[in-house]
Formats: sequence, C-alpha cells, structure tokens
Amino acid sequence: MVNGFVPKTLQEALELRATRDLVPYAGGTDLMVENRENVSYLFLGKLPELRQITVDGEYVRIGAAVTFTEALASDLVPPLMKEAVSRIAAPAIRNAGTFGGNLGNGSAKADSVLIEFVADAKLRLVSVRGERLVDVDKFYLGRKKLDLASDELIAEVLLPKRGLENYYYEKVGGRNALAISRVSFAGVFAEQDGKITNIAAAFGAVADTVLRWKEVEQMLIGKTLAEARALKADYLKAYEAHMTLTRGRVSAEYRKAVCMNLLGEFLAKFGI
Amino acid sequence: MDAIKFILNGGEVAYEGAATDRLLDVLRDCFGCKSVKCGCKEGECGACSVLIDGRLINSCCVAMGAVEGASVLTLEGYRETERFAALSKAFSELSAVQCGFCIPGMVLAAESVLAKNPHPSEAEIREGLSGNLCRCTGYNAIVNAVNNAAKEANGLW
Repeated sequence: MVNGFVPKTLQEALELRATRDLVPYAGGTDLMVENRENVSYLFLGKLPELRQITVDGEYVRIGAAVTFTEALASDLVPPLMKEAVSRIAAPAIRNAGTFGGNLGNGSAKADSVLIEFVADAKLRLVSVRGERLVDVDKFYLGRKKLDLASDELIAEVLLPKRGLENYYYEKVGGRNALAISRVSFAGVFAEQDGKITNIAAAFGAVADTVLRWKEVEQMLIGKTLAEARALKADYLKAYEAHMTLTRGRVSAEYRKAVCMNLLGEFLAKFGI
Repeated sequence: MDAIKFILNGGEVAYEGAATDRLLDVLRDCFGCKSVKCGCKEGECGACSVLIDGRLINSCCVAMGAVEGASVLTLEGYRETERFAALSKAFSELSAVQCGFCIPGMVLAAESVLAKNPHPSEAEIREGLSGNLCRCTGYNAIVNAVNNAAKEANGLW
C-alpha cells in the first residue's frame, strides 16, 4: 500500500507511529476535508483494541475508534454524551466519525469534546514507551495544539460513570442537521443534603479550546439553592469578566450573548 | 507494494494508487461509478454517499486505505436489487426526482434507513435522509416516496 499503513494490532500501530511520520486516521471525516498534501496515514479505524466501550468501577471507557453511531447504540454511554453526539452532522458522518478523531482534530467545536470537558473526563494515551492518563482540559494546549507526543496515540476516553445525570445541553447551529456548532454549552449539576456539590459549565466553539472556569464554579459549591440565588449576580458577572471570546463564523459579541443566555437557562433549570 | 483490495458491488477489485486517495475520486475515475456524485467534498451534502459494509458513508471523506478488505456498494450495484426496484417505482410515482443529482445518495440513504427499520415513521425517514441535501427542494416528495416504498415492500426489508 502506498502512503498508508493498516496495522492489525495496537502494538503494530504504536511501532509504526514511533518509527515513521504518519498521520493517525480514524474515521477520516475531518482529515479528508483538510486534505493534507504529501502525508501518509496510519489507519486505526479497525483496531479491535480501540473499538470497545467498557465500564469499570469509576468510568465508562470509550475506545478512540468507536464511532458516534456505535456510541448512540450503546447502553453504557451516558445520556448527556448521547444527546451531544446525536446532534453531530448526519447519519453518514456519525457512521464514520470517532471519539479519538474528534479529540485529535483539536477543534473547540468538537461536540463530544465539550461533554468530556464538563464531565472531567480523562484520556488514555499510549505509545511504545508506555501509557499515561491526562485530564482532557490539560490535553488541549491551544487551537489545534495537543499534549500528544509524536509517537503517541489516543486510546480511550474515560468518562466518569456517575454525576452526569442532571444536565443542561444546547447546541446552537445554523440548522438541525449537518450543522457545525456556533455556540455549544453543557452544564452538569449535583446537590447533596441541600447543598450544591457540582455546577460545571463548559462552553464550546467560542474560543481556541473548549472553555471552563472552575474557579467561578467554586463560588457556588457548598451553597444551598437560596444562597446560590443570592450570589447569582456576582457569579454571572464573574463569567462575563472571564469570557474573552474570539470571532469565528459569528461575532464575538454574539457568542458571548448566547453563552450568557445558555448559562442563565442552565441555572434556571436547577432552580437558581 | 501491495494493491488495496476491496469488494466493489459484489466483485473483488484492486487499486494500485495511494492509500491517501479519496474513495469518491477512485470510484468515479478508476471504476466508472458515475452515480457517485461530488457535491461538496466536505461531508456536507451526501451526494457521494455509498454503503461500506452496510453503513451509509460519504465517500468524499474516506481515504482508500480505509476500504482495504471492505465491501463498497454504489448505486451501480444496488440497482440490480429488488429493493432498488421498489424504491425506483415509488420515486417515479411521486415525481421525487427533479434534477437527479442528489438521488443516488438519497436512494442509498433510504436503503440504510429501511435496512435498520423496515417500518420507519416520517420523522425517522427525515432523520435518515438528513445528511443528503436536495437543492431542487424536493424533500417532501422524496420522504413520501421512501414511505410508500416501505409500505408496499412486502417484506423486502
């Protein structure tokens, strides 16, 4: 085969990755649009080690070459992730597009990555040297810049099994199908004994990476709903102050207004 | 170098070119499958849809290395089937074809819907065809045609 390798095992893939200059290819739906010149692909889409969805005590583990269609058909994948994935493009793209590819493409518009940010997901990266776990927000160093060494591959997404039950998700696009996110938002809420234990909010498609400010979230952690309502104005002001958004297909001002509206709806849904 | 071997419309074929080449171009230019249309080359229009191992895929977004060992079905193969005859009849009866450019992709998307769900609701048909754009704005007739084909199918799917 010219300009490409189809390894049979993950080990073989890692050896090829370590010794040659190859572009990892999973579903192809972003790479083929990019259409890079003079590259060789490392075809990963059929590797059994990357094609499983499993669970352990703490995590749902989604293989990097699992397609969005396969995730939608799985009982193991949490509803929040399914909702986001169901809004990606259209059936033919979901049949090919993968979790690893969505991450590796490095875009802040990646709909599955937004959920990984709000859920505090981890990624398992593998190489011939071994493996490491990295928090998804640490994996993104900037626009199209990833903490991925030239010999590493993304093996799995580790999505926490618990705590994603109460959520608010919205994708704002130009149309229903085949829409790239203009602004996307995911919020996760949890309370115990009348006190807020989690109020994570992530914003997609509005800057170089998905955005999340844990220090602002901290303002409401440990508070009752009544206390949170009293702090709401300050909390929203803190978000406004942090939100330096970039211009994309739509203006930065529009993006900010939509982000704040969606944040408001998230709070309202959970009584704040 | 070994050629890339795959099944095209039921027959074994080999491609000697690069693994990075686009399936869409190879189907049209090397194998004469002109039913596969190039509308956008970025996975946004569905005109180049084919079935790969039974799954609807935009052939513009597939590099040849990814089809090694796979089975690719285009309309050139599908039109030999009874299922195609049922869809063709329904599309004709409802005048669902205007300029025709999107129709090969639409028909394969319809096959993909019906293969999974022989009795789809209108919403399920629309979801199944949602990646296939028709610039003649003929969606209603197309959806109705798929619906009619499903109703008259007599166990074809």
